[in-house]
Amino acid sequence: MPTAPEGDQTLTAQYTKATDPTRAAPPVCPVLCRRPRVSNPSSSNPPSGSGNPLVSDADIRFLLGDVFDVASLLELPAFEAHSVETVDMYLATIRRFSREQLYPAYQLMDRAPPQLIDGRVHVHPLAKKLFAQLVDLGVLTADRSEDVGGFQLPSLVTSAAMLLMMAANLAAVGYVSLTSGAAHLIEVFGDDALRASLMVPMYAGRWAGTMALTEPDAGSSLADLRTAATPTDQGHYLLRGTKIFISGGDQDITENLVHLTLARIDGAPAGIKGVSLFAVPARRPTADGLVYNDVYASQLIHKIGTRGLASVGLTYGDQGDCRGWLVGPENRGMSCMFQLMNEARISVGVEGAAAASVAYHEALAYARARPQGRPMADRDPTSPQRPILVHADVRRLLLRQKAIVEGGIALVLKTAQLADLATHTPDGPERARLGLLLGLLTPVCKSFPAERGLEANSLAMQVHGGYGYTSEYPVESWWRDQRLNSIHEGTTGIQGLDLLGRKVMADRGAAVQVLGGEMTRSVEAAMAIGVEASWCAQLGGALRDVGETTRALGDKAAQGDAAGMLLHSADYLEAFSIVVVAWLWLDMATAAARRLAQTPNAPFYLGKRQAARYYFATELPKAGHLLQLCRDAEPSYGDMQDAWF
Amino acid sequence: MKILVTAKRVTDPNAKLVIDDDGSWIDDDVEYILNPFCENAVECALQLAADHDAETIAVGIGDEEVQRYIRQGALARGIDRGIHVEADEQELDSDLIAKILKALVEKESPDLVVLGKQAVDGDSNQVGQLLAEMLGWPQATFASDVKIEGDEVIVTREVDGGLEKLAVTLPAVITADLRLNDPRYASLAGIMKAKRKPLEELELDDLDLDGEEPKVRVVKLHEPTGRSAGVFVADVDELILKLTTEARVL
Repeated sequence: MPTAPEGDQTLTAQYTKATDPTRAAPPVCPVLCRRPRVSNPSSSNPPSGSGNPLVSDADIRFLLGDVFDVASLLELPAFEAHSVETVDMYLATIRRFSREQLYPAYQLMDRAPPQLIDGRVHVHPLAKKLFAQLVDLGVLTADRSEDVGGFQLPSLVTSAAMLLMMAANLAAVGYVSLTSGAAHLIEVFGDDALRASLMVPMYAGRWAGTMALTEPDAGSSLADLRTAATPTDQGHYLLRGTKIFISGGDQDITENLVHLTLARIDGAPAGIKGVSLFAVPARRPTADGLVYNDVYASQLIHKIGTRGLASVGLTYGDQGDCRGWLVGPENRGMSCMFQLMNEARISVGVEGAAAASVAYHEALAYARARPQGRPMADRDPTSPQRPILVHADVRRLLLRQKAIVEGGIALVLKTAQLADLATHTPDGPERARLGLLLGLLTPVCKSFPAERGLEANSLAMQVHGGYGYTSEYPVESWWRDQRLNSIHEGTTGIQGLDLLGRKVMADRGAAVQVLGGEMTRSVEAAMAIGVEASWCAQLGGALRDVGETTRALGDKAAQGDAAGMLLHSADYLEAFSIVVVAWLWLDMATAAARRLAQTPNAPFYLGKRQAARYYFATELPKAGHLLQLCRDAEPSYGDMQDAWF
Repeated sequence: MKILVTAKRVTDPNAKLVIDDDGSWIDDDVEYILNPFCENAVECALQLAADHDAETIAVGIGDEEVQRYIRQGALARGIDRGIHVEADEQELDSDLIAKILKALVEKESPDLVVLGKQAVDGDSNQVGQLLAEMLGWPQATFASDVKIEGDEVIVTREVDGGLEKLAVTLPAVITADLRLNDPRYASLAGIMKAKRKPLEELELDDLDLDGEEPKVRVVKLHEPTGRSAGVFVADVDELILKLTTEARVL
């Protein structure tokens, strides 16, 4: 059981950055910075006597304060209601709530998943309690516009908070984040009447929401979905069909829920151009109160992970009276859904980084406490056994996890920061430029924490030895949870196609140009502060490699060989992700170097530098090989025949 | 009705404290938290205020950073306003803190003062009792349940033999024990409101306490001496010999 200190870990200490001639002096919080604690964070480790920290406090402080400079983000007009102090206080509350309330409920919810009884899903009682608490805390509308009663915090901040909450108990938070996402769709695309009748109770936490896209025969290929919507002369449509894998699709937490459902209006064109978006309440509001709306959970999915979050099959219109209301224009459902898909995909990135983080901290604590064997030099069998951390191979397992976890956290926070900037930057062309970068990083953010995070979760089990694959220890459960993340919200294969086929190739590679500019700037900053020149050169080389490969693939497409261009899209995504995360490790190394110039022995920053060293030595070189496969259109799986398997 | 509560910051019990080179004080490069018993006091005040329509005021004493804990620990949870009394924490003892609180009580005229039963740094457990004595008010310490009925407050106390129930006449001093309540978390709405809540800054001079000296002085701080390594004994006879002659416990 974790015991958490009161939220006192401050960002404000971070504002007294190490001297750096290339940067202006950071803004100073008038109340809190009179006595800056410059040597904090002195250690990356939680204080002794505390439980799993879920996510390192020092890392969040470092990323928000030094790397992503939340203070300057808060200067945007959209965030004028906020200050570093409110951000600090919100994160302190969330940190404490995650450790004291969410985390202790995690295993109980994992072991007693929801049940389908007489057509209704019953969730763990703790899920109900936690939902209400999360709503009271303001989590549901933390990043929503003030116009709809939200708190309008930057995504950078709410994503940092979500990292903690999802590391503690993804399932419990899932009901809230799904509701927020569904309500957001109505907010943006619904008319005033729908906003009043459906969105308001959702944002108030009285009703929940879901995203109902997938059907038994239409998952990755949503263009083939068949749920039908028949217009009536009363303003609503009648829906018929079946959806599956609907997270939070039924529960007994809230009195009602609203399914944001993709369906095809009778006579609509085939394919994606005939898909519309509907709001379908489970119980529709009438003058006599809520009445059953002919949509129900017809099956419960038995998942290996995130078991506390009910996933159901929904049946619409068995009795011909399932009423739905059109959200946005007819036949534009996919484009509405995809305008908010970024949000959902960043959220999956956060899930992935969170599941890897909590397991890493568990493994680290285990490795420090578990005596087994002796160092190579110690041949005395009567000497006491030493903690397994003394073994080089265990340090390999842990350092690789650290590189993935902290790289993944930096990636999701970077993407969240770009989402803030691409929405709220006042200058139009700059906003567009950052929007391109956001689009480019979104498939990376969705897939890297899921793919590499699974590897990190696996390594965390490895550290535990045989205990790792028992259910007596918690590490196996995070591995199970993580396994879902490369599948839902668009598989890794889909992300590869999105990155290469859509984001990279659009506007003759404009987005990659933007990324190149940003990376070049990072390299210059790194050089200026004296970060290892070889890392800078390596990143520069990798960037050129990405550029050349992209041009070669673009030429292939220009010659009409789109299939050849996309053949290695998954390899391209992997290589691209490695390079992007290397870039972020360089940024972290630069920020750490600034701190080390002041406090040369601070373990936290030495650890950052060492993890960066690891990433450049072992991970970045892999990108070249993968890019080579893309350029060569290496034919093994392209030419493989069914009969040869 | 008006309720005054304390919001003292303490060093995080999980943090490793480093004593200054000269042993005079701890290195203040350390994490702080709101005293957990003060959290119970704050929660108590909020619950009573909700039922009895009271104004609530949180007091913190110390350097400027104390304001952060008043805002986060008290105002963001719902306390109406704060008072920060500027003082050097090295120059405070229970007696002087009680005098400061007494001066504030005379300034604010609350009906009830709720304090944490003790702070988890010094563990003195004196301020509530001293304050009641100085004010000549009734006191009920180690409260595990508090109810206001008319002009009395009914307090259940945790005592060695079990629970004791007292009725004390208002105005009164109460000190909160851990089982009094489950302190709420500061909500985002509360945090946003806390930014705009008044937080009055006072000097000791403003309370006519300038020049007051603490009665207790810290002579020296030092780490507890570590335990020395154990030794293996050959047999029971040697053990008994050592227990008799060296440990002198037999």
